Amino acid sequence: MSNAAVKEKVETTAEEFANSEYEAGFITDIETDTLPPGLNEDVIRHISAKKDEPEWLLKWRLEAYRHWLTMTEPHWAHVNYKQIDYQSISYYSAPKSKEDGPKSLDEIDPKLLETYEKLGIPLREQEFLAGVAVDAVFDSVSVATTFKDKLKEVGVIFCPISEAVREYPELVQQYLGTVVPSGDNFYAALNSAVFTDGSFVYIPKGVRCPMELSTYFRINALNTGQFERTLIIADEEAYVSYLEGCTAPQRDENQLHAAVVELVLLKDAQIKYATVQNWYPGDENGVGGIYNFVTKRAECRGERAKVSWTQVETGSAITWKYPSCVLRGDDSVGEFYSVALTKMRQEADTGTKMIHIGKRTKSTIVSKGIAAGRGQQAYRGLVRIGKNADGARNFTQCDSLLIGDQCGAHTFPYVEVKNPTATMEHEATTSKIGEDQLFYCRQRGITEEDAVNMIVNGFCKDVFNELPMEFAVEANRLMEVSLEGAVG
Amino acid sequence: MSDVALNDIRLDIAGLPGNAGVQALRQQAADVFARTGLPGKRAEDWKYTDLSRLSAVLGESWWVTAAQTEPADVHVIDDLDAYRLVFVAGQFQAEQSNLPTGVQMLPLADFLANDTAERGHCLFHVDESAPLFNGLMAANTALASDGLCACIGDDVQLDKPLYIIHNGSSTAHVLNGLMLGRNAKVTLIEHFVGAGSDAALSNIATYLRLGENAELRHYRLQLESDKQFHIGRVEVKQARDSRYILHAVELGAQLSRADIVVDLAEPGASCALHGLFVASGRQHIDHHTRIDHNAPHCRSRENYRTVLDGRSHAVFNGKIVVAEGAIKTDSAQSNGNLLLSKNAGVDTKPELEIYNDDVKCAHGVTVGQLDEDQLFYLKSRGLSTEEARQLLTFAFADEILTAMDIPAVRRFIEHKAFAKLPNMTDLEGLLG
Repeated sequence: MSNAAVKEKVETTAEEFANSEYEAGFITDIETDTLPPGLNEDVIRHISAKKDEPEWLLKWRLEAYRHWLTMTEPHWAHVNYKQIDYQSISYYSAPKSKEDGPKSLDEIDPKLLETYEKLGIPLREQEFLAGVAVDAVFDSVSVATTFKDKLKEVGVIFCPISEAVREYPELVQQYLGTVVPSGDNFYAALNSAVFTDGSFVYIPKGVRCPMELSTYFRINALNTGQFERTLIIADEEAYVSYLEGCTAPQRDENQLHAAVVELVLLKDAQIKYATVQNWYPGDENGVGGIYNFVTKRAECRGERAKVSWTQVETGSAITWKYPSCVLRGDDSVGEFYSVALTKMRQEADTGTKMIHIGKRTKSTIVSKGIAAGRGQQAYRGLVRIGKNADGARNFTQCDSLLIGDQCGAHTFPYVEVKNPTATMEHEATTSKIGEDQLFYCRQRGITEEDAVNMIVNGFCKDVFNELPMEFAVEANRLMEVSLEGAVG
Repeated sequence: MSDVALNDIRLDIAGLPGNAGVQALRQQAADVFARTGLPGKRAEDWKYTDLSRLSAVLGESWWVTAAQTEPADVHVIDDLDAYRLVFVAGQFQAEQSNLPTGVQMLPLADFLANDTAERGHCLFHVDESAPLFNGLMAANTALASDGLCACIGDDVQLDKPLYIIHNGSSTAHVLNGLMLGRNAKVTLIEHFVGAGSDAALSNIATYLRLGENAELRHYRLQLESDKQFHIGRVEVKQARDSRYILHAVELGAQLSRADIVVDLAEPGASCALHGLFVASGRQHIDHHTRIDHNAPHCRSRENYRTVLDGRSHAVFNGKIVVAEGAIKTDSAQSNGNLLLSKNAGVDTKPELEIYNDDVKCAHGVTVGQLDEDQLFYLKSRGLSTEEARQLLTFAFADEILTAMDIPAVRRFIEHKAFAKLPNMTDLEGLLG
């Protein structure tokens, strides 16, 4: 086959690839208790009252709200989207339960469970499989948390944050907003004011969490925003691996998702945080889809703490997300592994921040971006090595793969070094999917679709290897789904 | 900026050369400047360079062109066979200069004095949409006193380099325009020197146009006094198959910022930017480069090396933009930073913006100190610690130095660069 013919094939591939269907785009018909759209202090008081929150938290929310009013929306990211009307969003939506709330899995609305089953989360099978403890967040409230008892035995607290506020107020008060202050940025301030639920995890000193913890987020109701807040505290020598997955139904409106995730690591603690984000990306003309504006930050407060962020970003119309590591403790380690895929008219501006403060701190960044169709992909990262970070080390690699001639891939790496004993290396490459590689595979009898799939998977392998097994399988499947129908 | 200040600028402009058309364009530039003012730290492109020092040190009217003072004795490249153009405080010095004959080349002030037509001149159009545009560019246009104005005709190949010496111990706004015709070939050396004991501003803009298959080798040697503020802008537009090679050397000034903007406008054009910063004391050196690949089959290379000592601070921002349709783009960028002291710092950002899949782009950055193993190796071969450090520092910068194709310039820069670093003076003996 001539080269030209191969190229033509690639283009079909790219087109099909770019327009492949969104699998989780069904809507669950369920009665919800939703606040009318709009945001003011009364709404915040209402959310706070609904959740039976103590006075200090309401005060904190209101302070955040007042600060938010003075802030302007940031526009520096390399993304284009319609102005968001913050008054047209409903800030609270909960599935309406007949009773006060589910006490066990059996009490959960079967329709909800059906939704999760469709998504392939083994919520019900949980108890039989030696697998994952799931905290499922549906719209704004946490509906079920499995395996709570088993975790309690070893002293691990894993519950919705609204419950943690009631049951462990001193822990929440001590740590909430200490990593991402309420006025940190526009979306973090908004989240602090209106956050409705999320997960809370506390791993006590010396405990290695016996199973992987997981949260599944889903935006279901129309015209709602989802503002969840996750707080994970790993006490000295504790270890936890935490997974997070997200989907949303297919709608024509853009929906806002502005989450905050805070991780606190004390001496010798370790947290592995993995995300598979598959929010609805909008259709091929860029109508609908989730605006995913997320603030994630981990702070290694003690020596030798280790945090690792792994993310697979395939969904959302707009992604604006920079999971960061503040390496304060000496010898602490931060890692960031990311695969981001943008197709159709998706746009992603994502990356990480590594702030080296402690001595001999180490960080690794591996970022793989894949842009197809009219997708726009940007890596934006910061590596800052402070004055006292003697012997700090950073390695950064960000590669972009381009499929189709209308997509874009951009790299904005900020490097700030204030210490001569630091070593930092940054490498980036951008290239299209190799014609030679494709040709080679085709020549060996591998179909176009499988060949593209194989090359993309190979490109992402460094990151997928970092995912826990269950998620690695899901991530692989997500990529395959996205590449489905590649042969035209 | 206050109306009083704007009026001052208007008065200054009235005394500058140019016909009615040029005067009108200067006034327009002054309006733009009055509106935009100095770029602040909030601006993304000025995040790491604080220009408030400019007005803090030079006072409210920092842009004022000071009266010409006696030229201070400065060190220039003596053993260079070249056509010389000498500017002191932004004014051309005919008696110290020798211009080539047979080409259209004049000092800008002479050109403007002879041009009595009413129309303006393209050098004086301020384009606010230009990449890295800032108020200082508009100030330069409004207040430019002199410069080089040259059109090198088709097929002309200058036999000797053009050597422009800017002796800038006082505030000056200099505007250079150089146009190369088809197949023309020129080497341009811009050498900024100064020995003033007072702080002043050199605001230098150089606009370059390369015709089809033209070749320009451009040396930009900044060795101002350590009191001086240096603001530079180089804008290059390249036609088909033209080649632009820049050797940018930054050794002087207390604060130096240069914006290098290259537009690869037609197929087959190529550019190579080589940069060397050697900074010590409290020097602040900043280069922002931007290369636009606007046509297919263009090639760009960029290699910047930074050696920092004392409390110096370097900023490098290299942006490469590949437009839709600019297929077969080949671009590589590399930035190495060597920190010799505890208090030196570097901020670097190699950016890529790519709107096309048929490209090959790569960039790399490293920051570090001298490698312990390499030092050990050299010491095990009998070199002293100092000698080993010298040799490795020299080796780090060598890649940029060897790219310089005029031996006289290279020797001069080697000598000047390493004289700045402690215990580096006896390097020549070492290299034997």
